[in-house]
Amino acid sequence: MKPEIIQELIKIVGEENLYTTLEDLYCYTYDASFLKADLKDLAGVAVYPGTVEEISMILTLANREKIPVVPRGAGTNVSGGSVSIGDCIVLVLKRMNKILEIDKKNLIAVVEPGVITGQFQREVEQLGLFYPPDPASLAVSTMGGNVAECAGGPRGVKYGVTRDYILGLEVVLPTGEIMTTGGRTIKNVTGYDMTKLFTGSEGTLCVITKIIVKLIPLPEAKSTMMAVFSEMEQASETVSEIIAGGLVPCSLELLDNIYIKNIEEYAKVGLPVEAGAVLLIEVDGDSEILSKQIGKVEEICRRLGAVQIRVATTKEEAEDLWLARRSAFASVSRVKPTIIGEDATVPRSQIPVAVRRIQEIAAKYNIIIAILGHAGDGNLHATILTDEMDREEAARVEKAIDEIFVLTVELGGSLSGEHGIGRAKSKFITLQTGKIGLEIQRKIKHALDPNNILNPGVMFGA
Amino acid sequence: MERSFESWEKEVIRCIRCGSCQNVCPVFRELQAESTVARGRVKLIRGVITKDLSLTEGFISKMSLCLMCKACVANCPSGVKVDKLVEAARKEIVDQKGLSPLKKLIFRLILKNRWVFDTGMSTGRILQKLVFRPGPGGQGMLPRMPLGIDQRRLLSPLAPKPLKTMYPQVVKVLNPRLRVVFFTGCMINYIYTDTGRAVINVLNRLGIDVVIPKLQNCCGTPVRMNGDYETAREMARANIDVLLKEKADGVVVACGTCGLALKEEYAELLQDEPRYAERAKLLGKMVKDFTELVVSLGDFKENIGELPLKVTYHDPCHLVRGLKVKEQPREIIKQIPGVKFLEMKNPDTCCGSGGSFSLTHYELSMKINNRKVEDILQTGAEVVVTGCSACRMHILDGLHRQEVGMGVMHTAQLLEMAYDAKEGIPKGVNSFSQS
Repeated sequence: MKPEIIQELIKIVGEENLYTTLEDLYCYTYDASFLKADLKDLAGVAVYPGTVEEISMILTLANREKIPVVPRGAGTNVSGGSVSIGDCIVLVLKRMNKILEIDKKNLIAVVEPGVITGQFQREVEQLGLFYPPDPASLAVSTMGGNVAECAGGPRGVKYGVTRDYILGLEVVLPTGEIMTTGGRTIKNVTGYDMTKLFTGSEGTLCVITKIIVKLIPLPEAKSTMMAVFSEMEQASETVSEIIAGGLVPCSLELLDNIYIKNIEEYAKVGLPVEAGAVLLIEVDGDSEILSKQIGKVEEICRRLGAVQIRVATTKEEAEDLWLARRSAFASVSRVKPTIIGEDATVPRSQIPVAVRRIQEIAAKYNIIIAILGHAGDGNLHATILTDEMDREEAARVEKAIDEIFVLTVELGGSLSGEHGIGRAKSKFITLQTGKIGLEIQRKIKHALDPNNILNPGVMFGA
Repeated sequence: MERSFESWEKEVIRCIRCGSCQNVCPVFRELQAESTVARGRVKLIRGVITKDLSLTEGFISKMSLCLMCKACVANCPSGVKVDKLVEAARKEIVDQKGLSPLKKLIFRLILKNRWVFDTGMSTGRILQKLVFRPGPGGQGMLPRMPLGIDQRRLLSPLAPKPLKTMYPQVVKVLNPRLRVVFFTGCMINYIYTDTGRAVINVLNRLGIDVVIPKLQNCCGTPVRMNGDYETAREMARANIDVLLKEKADGVVVACGTCGLALKEEYAELLQDEPRYAERAKLLGKMVKDFTELVVSLGDFKENIGELPLKVTYHDPCHLVRGLKVKEQPREIIKQIPGVKFLEMKNPDTCCGSGGSFSLTHYELSMKINNRKVEDILQTGAEVVVTGCSACRMHILDGLHRQEVGMGVMHTAQLLEMAYDAKEGIPKGVNSFSQS
């Protein structure tokens, strides 16, 4: 990066909020995705702006000089959307971390993009309010990153995803202008829905600088149960039956046999190792109706052949049941050093087919794929257990992943439920959007970012 | 065969860069740059292994920015041993670049050689008046001139006499039920002899003979954590010989860092020397923290007097995440009649000391400490109890900077006070040494 540019950036953000050394920049060549970047991808500079005005100045400068800009929050992105891409500016939004307003009367909150999701949730819950989206990384991920990626989580089945809670935004466009979208009302049809366009735009259309979110009342209580099935089909059918029965659990998590075996070996939670699937089900709402609800769910599980059912009656027992789910990752990470989490999502009814076909793909390429999923919304996390130092296996893994993507679209699903397309899946995007769909998206991108400076390579490839 | 730096690649690839460490790393919390969090350090180490990077000044300084508090290790979903990786990197730096002259002097001449250390410390006691002035209210002392350490740093003065010279080699009781070796560690021996005295008094009162071998050395951890394995091994071998010679029922420590060295790290350090590796394991099995030993004797609860005190407890990193001692100190505190135990927020977050980290990165270490002090003050407690002398000094320094006249003491001291109270030995909260 030219020294003059660095000087200009120092004037904007101050020397203490800017990094240029090799060692510092090397640490922006990764995010939580499997995407590899190396020395040739090293950024020219990383900046930590503190205000929307500073961001506007940075983007104006970058646009004038045609320097790529990669926005970044906590870097927990799992699709390679926040890794540096050569002589670029990495724009980290973590300093803008204030909760500006929690408005109980209107059930909204206004936050800056660097606010940590989990901290925000704790704050609103203290006031009896609820912000449901719960990506696995919520303890560290930022609200800005969640909006940019349209993050989901286990509660998606009942409460939807980030998109469903964003009422309005303040953003800086790639050309440097500051713009607001939406507003503070639930109903708002003035003009195109730019809020929804920007939510999930993966840092390609704008930099988010302020977020107006919708809140809902905090459910009074929760009730948790676990059901063990000998066959995956039974578990899937149970999921469909529960939802057809008008019951909407707030989480409906599915673990396959590979997970069950490893969790049992690692955490000794009392799962039968030969079981085909485990469902972890949680319902929430008024405490009076909870036991009735969980009773109905239990009845459905039994009818469809659950071999073991455990219902938690206390908070501690519920914690015990969640222990299995929470130990999932640690348990498989001890099997192989490299864990790749995929994000294929299919219509709920297709889960048994998807699981079977993924297992066939695993057998074909002789690799281990475990499946854990937010079964209630068809979001399967196929987890590939491998060793990245084994180059030959890595090649097989890559082919298997390609096949999973094709399969997902074939089953009427989505390439990504909640992780995003990023750089990792950009070559597959036309499978789903089609040629015209992609062309229109490119035109939108070009209209907002004529010089293609904002997160180039994400979604549409290089 | 000594383990090569490259062989750690197997461990670094286990980091999936999920970023969970951002939630717990005290250094990252202050600095926020990606290179200052565990996954950044792991990536940098990987970069050196794969030859993307080399052992530059930049890399060395990033590796020094770690408190070794193990919070990331405990919180890592894949269980990556970040502490071992940073240590391996520091060792590689020393192997390739050598030690700085000052560190060489301290590690190889002073810490390793007990008599130099002893002589230096007793001369130091007289000389320290020339270079340090007393802190406010007679607590601690402040440097009079630049010493390469921050002049605002409140250090505790050396004790008039080292602990080992205050007691016979074996402090006996009538009809002992156990005989344990007390590994004092440096800070208890030279600075906080009040902690050492309390450990001995309490154990005696519980019917235990306490052996204090004169020939014990520094545990070697400061040396090892700075990458000087050669010296650390020598110190480990010497301590193993001295401690195993005593034929005791156990080895008791009052410092998590020393304890972890004796219990686990010596065996790792000496794994290529079959004879010593075995002896290290034997020693490891005998090691117990003071609170572990006391709680294991159910009858410690008898004859405890009343202490009308509001007490909070700080978990030292190496005690809670190293020796995994968390409940025992709390159990002791809660057993004392009259004591109101007030748990602070994040009791197991590092106080910012990190041993020599607080000397080389004082500003940063005080920022981390300020958060700890704030959590302490929020409890409304009158006394902070902890299980580590380095934490004690650092927290005291933090309280001093915020002009809070609050006492900090070791768990053993609180228990000693409670026993004294029963016997009518007057000892108010202000009478124990706060320095």
